[in-house]
Amino acid sequence: MSGFATIPKTAPFAEEEIDLLNRVVGPANALQRAWLAGFLAGVESVTGQAQPAAPARPAEPITIVYASESGNCEKLANDFAKAARKNGLKPNIVDMADLDLAALGKAKRLVVIAATWGEGEPPARAVRTYNELMGEGAPRLDGVEFGVLALGDTAYVEFCAIGKKIDERLAALGAKRVVDRVDCDLDFAQPASEWIGGALKVLAPPDADRGRVIEVDFGKPVASPNTEIVEAEVSEHINLNSSRSAKETVHLALTFDGAMPAYEPGDSLDLYAENDPAYVDELLKLAGLAGDDALRAELIKSRDVTTLSLKTLETHAEKTGHHYVKALIADGQAKEWIAGRQLIDLISYFPIALDAEKLRALTRPLAPRAYSIASSRREVGDEAHLLISAVRYDSHGRARKGVASNYAAERLKKGGRVRVRLKPNKHFALPASDKDIVMIGPGTGVAPFRAFVQERRATAAKGRSWLFFGDRQFTHDFLYQLDWQEALKDGALTRMDVAFSRDTPDKVYVQDKMWEQRRDLIEWLDGGAHFYVCGDAKAMAKDVRATLVRAYADVKGLSPEAAEQSVAALERDKRYLQDTY
Amino acid sequence: MADKDLSPMEHLKARSRYLRGDLAEDMADPLTGGVSEDSAQLLKFHGMYLQDDRDLRPERTKKKLEKAFGFMIRLRLPGGVIAPKQWLTLDAIAREFAGDTLRLTTRQTFQLHGVLKFNVKTALKRINAVALDTIAACGDDNRGVMAVSNPHQSRVHAEAYDLACRMSLHFKPRTHAYYEIFLDGEKVAGEGERDDVEPIYGKTYMPRKFKIGFAVPPSNDIDVFAQDLGFIAVVGPGGEIEGWNVAVGGGMGMTHGEPETYPRIGDVLGFCRPDDLFAVAEAVVTIQRDWGDRTNRKHARLKYTLDDRGADAFRAEIAKRAGKALEPARPYAFTSNGDRYGWTEGDNGKHHLTLFIENGRLRDFADGRRLLTGMRRIAEVHGGEIRLTPNQNLIVANVDADKRGEIDALVAEHGMTARASALRRNSIACVALPTCGLALAESERYLPDLIDALDEKLAAYGLSEDDIVIRMTGCPNGCARPYIAEIALVGKGPGRYNLYLGAAFDGSRMNKLYAEDLEHDGIVAALDPVFAAYARERQKGERFGDFTIRAGFVTATVNGRDFHASTGAQRAS
Ligand code: SRM
Ligand SMILES: Cc1cc2nc3c(=O)[nH]c(=O)nc-3n(C[C@H](O)[C@H](O)[C@H](O)COP(=O)(O)OP(=O)(O)OC[C@H]3O[C@@H](n4cnc5c(N)ncnc54)[C@H](O)[C@@H]3O)c2cc1C
Ligand SMILES: Cc1cc2nc3c(=O)[nH]c(=O)nc-3n(C[C@H](O)[C@H](O)[C@H](O)COP(=O)(O)O)c2cc1C
Ligand code: SF4
Repeated sequence: MSGFATIPKTAPFAEEEIDLLNRVVGPANALQRAWLAGFLAGVESVTGQAQPAAPARPAEPITIVYASESGNCEKLANDFAKAARKNGLKPNIVDMADLDLAALGKAKRLVVIAATWGEGEPPARAVRTYNELMGEGAPRLDGVEFGVLALGDTAYVEFCAIGKKIDERLAALGAKRVVDRVDCDLDFAQPASEWIGGALKVLAPPDADRGRVIEVDFGKPVASPNTEIVEAEVSEHINLNSSRSAKETVHLALTFDGAMPAYEPGDSLDLYAENDPAYVDELLKLAGLAGDDALRAELIKSRDVTTLSLKTLETHAEKTGHHYVKALIADGQAKEWIAGRQLIDLISYFPIALDAEKLRALTRPLAPRAYSIASSRREVGDEAHLLISAVRYDSHGRARKGVASNYAAERLKKGGRVRVRLKPNKHFALPASDKDIVMIGPGTGVAPFRAFVQERRATAAKGRSWLFFGDRQFTHDFLYQLDWQEALKDGALTRMDVAFSRDTPDKVYVQDKMWEQRRDLIEWLDGGAHFYVCGDAKAMAKDVRATLVRAYADVKGLSPEAAEQSVAALERDKRYLQDTY
Repeated sequence: MADKDLSPMEHLKARSRYLRGDLAEDMADPLTGGVSEDSAQLLKFHGMYLQDDRDLRPERTKKKLEKAFGFMIRLRLPGGVIAPKQWLTLDAIAREFAGDTLRLTTRQTFQLHGVLKFNVKTALKRINAVALDTIAACGDDNRGVMAVSNPHQSRVHAEAYDLACRMSLHFKPRTHAYYEIFLDGEKVAGEGERDDVEPIYGKTYMPRKFKIGFAVPPSNDIDVFAQDLGFIAVVGPGGEIEGWNVAVGGGMGMTHGEPETYPRIGDVLGFCRPDDLFAVAEAVVTIQRDWGDRTNRKHARLKYTLDDRGADAFRAEIAKRAGKALEPARPYAFTSNGDRYGWTEGDNGKHHLTLFIENGRLRDFADGRRLLTGMRRIAEVHGGEIRLTPNQNLIVANVDADKRGEIDALVAEHGMTARASALRRNSIACVALPTCGLALAESERYLPDLIDALDEKLAAYGLSEDDIVIRMTGCPNGCARPYIAEIALVGKGPGRYNLYLGAAFDGSRMNKLYAEDLEHDGIVAALDPVFAAYARERQKGERFGDFTIRAGFVTATVNGRDFHASTGAQRAS
């Protein structure tokens, strides 16, 4: 499909003109259409006066900035742009990672759609610009009209922190807030589109005669892959950890009958899990709702019954009027109390009869979980592999189990079926096949790099590849060990360094191995290698970056500042790429 | 003989530049816990075996994991004597790198199991730091030299022990490969290319393993007749050693279904004076070096060389090489090849406590026997020395009278002497599964349960306190010296064993195959009537092994070559 653009019959042209135009515009590709649009808009702006025949008015520019990690904000930014065009605006979409702050002051209209990551941090790519925006050096923005849409997850204490901070900061820099911020939870689709509608009412030129504005159909991006929810069959289900390991990391092979998403190395799959029936039963029992099978089925399948957020607490207090819960909120102890707790704790600590409606109100839709694809289509054909580590821990005297990872580890079986949705990530893709790559992937962070290595084998890529892997025990936790040994033999992998933290007297981690190898590492990077980091965002990703900065300083004898600049430069060139969680 | 006939191992040794090969590189490879096949062979000369946890084998490939490799490290500990300070080091290494367990072997030393490749050097450095090493603990060389452990005759023991140490040093490989590869010692330039590095061994070392031991009658605890070269002390009236009877050609190893392989009892070829001891030893070693079969490893032990050449030719060659003929053998008398448990007072006035350690396994067991910790506590307070016996047991030696109470208290506190029946006290089992790559059946992990079952029968016939020697191995290689046990069970396949009967209690006669391919119930059923008959028909003081022959259950084995002859149950029971 190449998004054929046909001039609508409603267009202000004579029929034969429409046919003529269709012959040209119809087969035109996205680029040609874009050029035409730009050209015509350009003509407008120079010749100035409106055309009597087609009284289309020059579209007013609007800048749409998105700070996104896993693509949600980016998608919304595109939606916004589409709608904006319909409303006589000329959208300019910018990834915050590429934003030139100095130029921002010239924007008359500004929309920022920002996600929050880590523990209240900006998406990795956006960090640098974000810090500039927050710093003294930030330019004044007087005369800029703006609105902010924040994406987040109420499960996190720092809910939508980044959206909030940007919203305040823009105002502080003199910009004028013409649209109030909305903070979206994981189920952002509806609130987001409402916000977009509202924002456009304010931002679109008041006298825009919408009916007669020409709609330019830019078509869908060429060959955009299928991102619908599809069902897959589990054809392999293997715990890669030895039976002596404390961990459980499941290798899933999914086969698709027909509707195989055309994924690329670096993409992820959203996995639609179900809750642990045992947990739900206990929850219903505590809520005095045992026996309500309809509710039970609904909760297991589609509600988030584990997350406990301030919002949950407030809803509970309001719906039940529970004295102690109110007190908890009033005394400002709520934040502290919910830490490490789940919905089930709330129900059991503050027993009170609930009806189905009340309980449902305490939950939100069950969100899918993303898993990096650990295979390349070019090697495994109609399969996609996932590498899922079962999240298990104790807190407040309860054994806790991560919903999706344990659904995959404990309840998904070979031959079973599961719903997934492709999450493309063009920001974590392989470079040209002659470029070298360095991959830092401890734990499940190694998943996308298995895809990378398979892809490079299948395409006989010339570039060298160097993998750093780490986990707890060499003998029991060396994920995909035989695959790596084979890849090193056949050359798909040039070099590999491993760090196991529980084997030797002194704990070693991937960053320690990087430090050991710093000379070669910097040499590879100087030679144009791309540097990839995947896995734990809390500690690992930060330590790895800090280590690389130290490596630059040490190997090249640079000052800390200069070394920091070298790494920042890699990021700006999109040669330092992260996919961390 | 033409080079092409040589076994691959001979070529490898010759290529190895005095046991270096690619070991250094293979040890440094971070992506595998193992080493190449060649390196694994060379490792043995340095006292290590590449093994893998066989319990985990079934799951590994499915999980995309290589075998669960681990190194077995065996110490060179002549005479089995160790100082408390050294013990504490081994204890620490066991806890940090070897799964919280130490294994005492049938040749009086320690084995650590499951040491990760990446920790081997660290472990060896710590071992080296307390003046211990693992050189030639395995491999085609002179293995750990044994010496009588019975501390009762302290003076003679001291002499045998001293000889064991000197003999071990005398035949210790001279190459510096060990220090270079494992202890980061600096490289000895060009050593690999020189020809004169190993004055005794040469570049290809021995055709096969070679074993030496010193026995002092009446104790034959070292099983002197299982040694390639065994020395039997001849003690004069004044308690001084007049010289040594020389036993040659012992060995246990054989292969099921290959009758040309057989266990053998050493022949006493004669007597030598203390001054000639090293000359005689070096003569025997070099004869085997030169005459031993280097084309077929299953025929390479001294015992085959001796049978092929004949005792007279061998005696003559010894005389030639030692520059002196052996004198006629002197009379000697052994009473047993087992240990005496409990306290004894040595003739040096010191006290010695012999502790039964089932199958030599030191660990803190779930059932409350905390052997590893118990021994550490003892090592912390003990002023004397600790000895390992050839029966996988321990002696807390040279304790002052007033210290006995303290030791006893620790032994009790850690449940180290859970009551054991006479059969159990006279049992040994080899390691076998899960670490031994050659095991066909369980041994160390199974014998204790079998003995539970047999003890019931023995109790029923009132034989609970009769010393009967029982030994089990997981394959016919004979690591627990089964063929000189009154009752032997030799692994044939998973859960299946061959049953041997009729060896002499003092280790001077081998046993005979009685029944094949028995599983647990079959073993118990086969032995039950023999026990019953023993209780009923035995003559006063008659040993179980001797009885089974007199009573006609089995025919006596005269020597190696007839070991496989007239086997099977002779008397319907
Ligand atoms: C630890 C020990 C048994 C025990 O439970 O104590 C042992 C354990 C092994 N022996 Fe042994 N042998 C041990 C004493 C013996 C003895 C008894 C003795 O020497 O008094 C014998 C019989 C005497 C002899 O040498 O004939 C013995 C005859 C063998 C053989 C057969 C040799 C032959 O000539 O056929 C092998 C296999 C081989 O060498 O090919 C063997 C091989 C092995 C190996 C290394 C298996 C292998 O080659 O891969 C076993 C390691 C098992 C493990 O996981 O630890 N082991 N082995 C003993 C260590 C002694 C030491 O400290 O050096
Ligand atoms: C782009 C992307 C790619 C990913 N790729 C992979 C992958 O390839 N493999 C993989 O395994 N995961 C991957 N993840 C993580 C995955 O999406 C899930 O977050 C993870 O599996 C946990 O989900 P869950 O439903 O099992 O746990 P949940 O039910 O979501 O519970 C997780 C929550 O439990 C709490 N928690 C967890 N551990 C502890 C603890 N020790 N103490 C206290 N609280 C704790 C935290 O609040 C945490 O947020 C990826 C994530 C993203 C965003
Ligand atoms: C590892 C991780 C950390 C997150 N941390 C936060 C957080 O601290 N606060 C918050 O409100 N949302 C947090 N979120 C939720 C994301 O902001 C939410 O999924 C958002 O839709 C992502 O948008 P994007 O795809 O544009 O990056 C986190 C999500 C992940 C996966
Ligand atoms: S007898 Fe066989 S099974 Fe037992 S340790 Fe020796 S080689 Fe292994």
